[in-house]
Amino acid sequence: MSRYIIRRLIQAIPVLLGATLLIYAIVFALPGDPIAALMGEKRMDPNLVDIMREQYHLNDPFLVQYWYYLVGLFGGDFGKTFAGVPVTDIMAGKFQVTINLAMTALVMEAVIGVGLGLYAALRHGRAQDSMVLASTLVLISIPTLVTGFVLQLLLGVKVGLFPVAGVTDGWRSYLLPGFVLAGTSIAYLTRLTRTSLVETLRADYIRTAVAKGLPRRRVVGRHALRNALIPLITYLGADLGTLMGGAVITETIFNLPGIGQQLFSSVYLREQSVVVGIVTVLVLIYILANLIVDLLYAVLDPRIRYE
Amino acid sequence: MRVTKGARITAGTALLALGLAACGGQSSTGGGTASADQPVRMELGEPQKLFYPGDTTESEGSEVLAAVFAPLVSYDENKQVVDDVAESIKSTDNKTWTIKLKPGYTWHNDEPLIAQNYVDAWNYAANQDNVQGANGFFSRVEGWADLNPGEGKTVSTKEMKGLKVVDDSTFKVTLSKPFSQFKTMLGYTSFYPLPKAAFGADGKVTEAYAKQPIGQGYFKFDKPYNKGTDQSIDLTRYDKFPGDKPKFDKLQFKLYSSAETAFNDLRAGNLDIHDSLPPSAIASAKAELGERYMDEADAGVGYIGFPMQYNKTYANVKVREAISLAIDRKTIAETVFSGTRAPADDFINPLLDGYRPGACAVCTYDPAKAKSQYAANGGPKTLELGYNSDGPHKEWIEAVANNLRANLGVQVTVKPFEKFASILDELDEKTYGGMFRMGWAIDYPSAENYLTPVFSTVAIKTGSNYAGWSNKAFDDLLAKGDSAATQAQGLKYYQQADDILIKELPYIPVYFYRTNAAFSQHVKGVKINLLNQVEWTKVEKVA
Repeated sequence: MSRYIIRRLIQAIPVLLGATLLIYAIVFALPGDPIAALMGEKRMDPNLVDIMREQYHLNDPFLVQYWYYLVGLFGGDFGKTFAGVPVTDIMAGKFQVTINLAMTALVMEAVIGVGLGLYAALRHGRAQDSMVLASTLVLISIPTLVTGFVLQLLLGVKVGLFPVAGVTDGWRSYLLPGFVLAGTSIAYLTRLTRTSLVETLRADYIRTAVAKGLPRRRVVGRHALRNALIPLITYLGADLGTLMGGAVITETIFNLPGIGQQLFSSVYLREQSVVVGIVTVLVLIYILANLIVDLLYAVLDPRIRYE
Repeated sequence: MRVTKGARITAGTALLALGLAACGGQSSTGGGTASADQPVRMELGEPQKLFYPGDTTESEGSEVLAAVFAPLVSYDENKQVVDDVAESIKSTDNKTWTIKLKPGYTWHNDEPLIAQNYVDAWNYAANQDNVQGANGFFSRVEGWADLNPGEGKTVSTKEMKGLKVVDDSTFKVTLSKPFSQFKTMLGYTSFYPLPKAAFGADGKVTEAYAKQPIGQGYFKFDKPYNKGTDQSIDLTRYDKFPGDKPKFDKLQFKLYSSAETAFNDLRAGNLDIHDSLPPSAIASAKAELGERYMDEADAGVGYIGFPMQYNKTYANVKVREAISLAIDRKTIAETVFSGTRAPADDFINPLLDGYRPGACAVCTYDPAKAKSQYAANGGPKTLELGYNSDGPHKEWIEAVANNLRANLGVQVTVKPFEKFASILDELDEKTYGGMFRMGWAIDYPSAENYLTPVFSTVAIKTGSNYAGWSNKAFDDLLAKGDSAATQAQGLKYYQQADDILIKELPYIPVYFYRTNAAFSQHVKGVKINLLNQVEWTKVEKVA
């Protein structure tokens, strides 16, 4: 098992290198001079532009620039933004917010999604089942942008149940945005749980378990659900990446200073060091999340072994 | 510098623009109760950099610094420059200026404010080795060139010849050429002084200072600002401040990435002042807030420019006039911008002394005259109109294009560029020959600032004269204005220069910006000054 984990981690190194190179190249290829952009639409003193370009190695060819970046990275230095702020400072604060948000969303997804799915599967073919199906369909069809604004206006501004924006209210700040972010995933997960469980409940070994006279609780909880969880875990693992990097809209509506927003504005300002730094950490999180998912398979299904 | 509002706000706003159709509707107008120790909460976009006064050239950082520093001069309600920290600023020849400081000012760390603090700060900002964004503001000071020998060359001195300390409360500034507007410039962020405590052992302004700047103004920082983590910047009144002090003791800047979100927070009672309402919020702000909604002039101007330097298609001024006459500015300002712009009728903005209503006669809408004049002068059959798609420009550029199509009977193609810099690059390389959008926000409130940096010959290289237009008579009038004996006389020359612009029309003025602000029930007396900053001494908390 530990050998398997080590092997997986070693495999992550080329993935990380490849990802940084790719992202670095993409940001490099974006049009416009990032130094000139510092002054908005005014022209910066040409002399100053020259000095800054030299300082940030912008006059060097692409590979040389990338090399400088890698050397810094291995020394633990993620570089500085063009405004002179260390990238690590920026990332530390923003990842905190994003992790809080993503975790809130993930827990909501797992609890509400699996719960509703379970409920629907056990009432398969009945009215409650159809209702769950219909309501998830509605949830899937409404874009985050709409749910975000509507819920903010209704529950935040009008009713005052939740904070409208910002992260100054502790964990309460994350409830509404977490739900908005989790929205579509909750719907998918509900449907996935339902289908997967309905299928498992038809399997031979379930019939055997029922025939053995096991209580229904135990049949569903222990035998059926455990097996049905495998596709769900896969989905949750993959979704973590989306929740972390793709929450731009939710973060913007609720004014949460997270990674998504930072990534968006850094791409806009062509701040390679920030973009690559964030993506590197995201790739790392993604790799780890997938590793954990793979290990969970073995826990859920004893037939799966890693060696 | 409102036009260069933080990229984050622009991006966030663009991103959310789509969703706004969903959130019209009615809403309660903000509940919440204000306790006595609650700060006055002000909306802010995330500042681009840490707080180095000499390196802060954008609106958000300047807004914070303006609360922490007291400027040498400020601007009164009649648009006139008045002494603030300065007791007097005098010159007989507009070249050598003697600046005397009022007594009693101290830094937040109790150091007394002395003339040397100004000289230190200005020398620091002007030195190319320190790479400060405001470097160019000091280019008029004698000896600036010594500190800026060019990239790769060593700077031989750390001081500008033109700065001399006379005694603790007096210093002299010598300019390389007379400049009558020098005093007006001094209210800008770049001209703030720096205390001894700002400099580290290596002579550079330390990062610790930039996180928690020590100023000599009426507010001081509560704690260092961690960029990227902190969601607010908290200030407390500095009670040893000798000048006019604010009537409340705590001010909080809350950082927002979207102007829409900030407006919702204001409606819910979590924000007190919001000075950059997005166009989408105007209708509901007017309806819900009544007198707490403000619509005031802003110093920015929007133009359409011509690549005068190398494209001869637009060489005939009659053609440019016809294009200008064909644009329906009023409809664009009212419909496309929901009233967040006003139709332009001069090159100088109405917010400033020197503006003359209706000065630009060809800025009126006269489609019949436009058509005949365009045809009579053989205007081109096809026109191209470029804009940067990362700002809110597509709609009004499309509207202008429609005007031109309908009124001139020509084909108009609209060309989006990724960002403004891409337009500039193509203009520099002479690969783009069409018209382009352009905007200007002033650095200091003088009519001269609408002329020199945008249209003078020297600004082709170092300023923002992107059209490459050059006119000897215009440059001469600017020089005369710069060395005029009095402000009034200077203004007369600048207005004559403005007349040349109107006659020659290198750019077409299209709109003036407006400031659209709103405030909560917890405050009153909100006033916005010429630099587009809230006058904190006038604001009062309502219990």
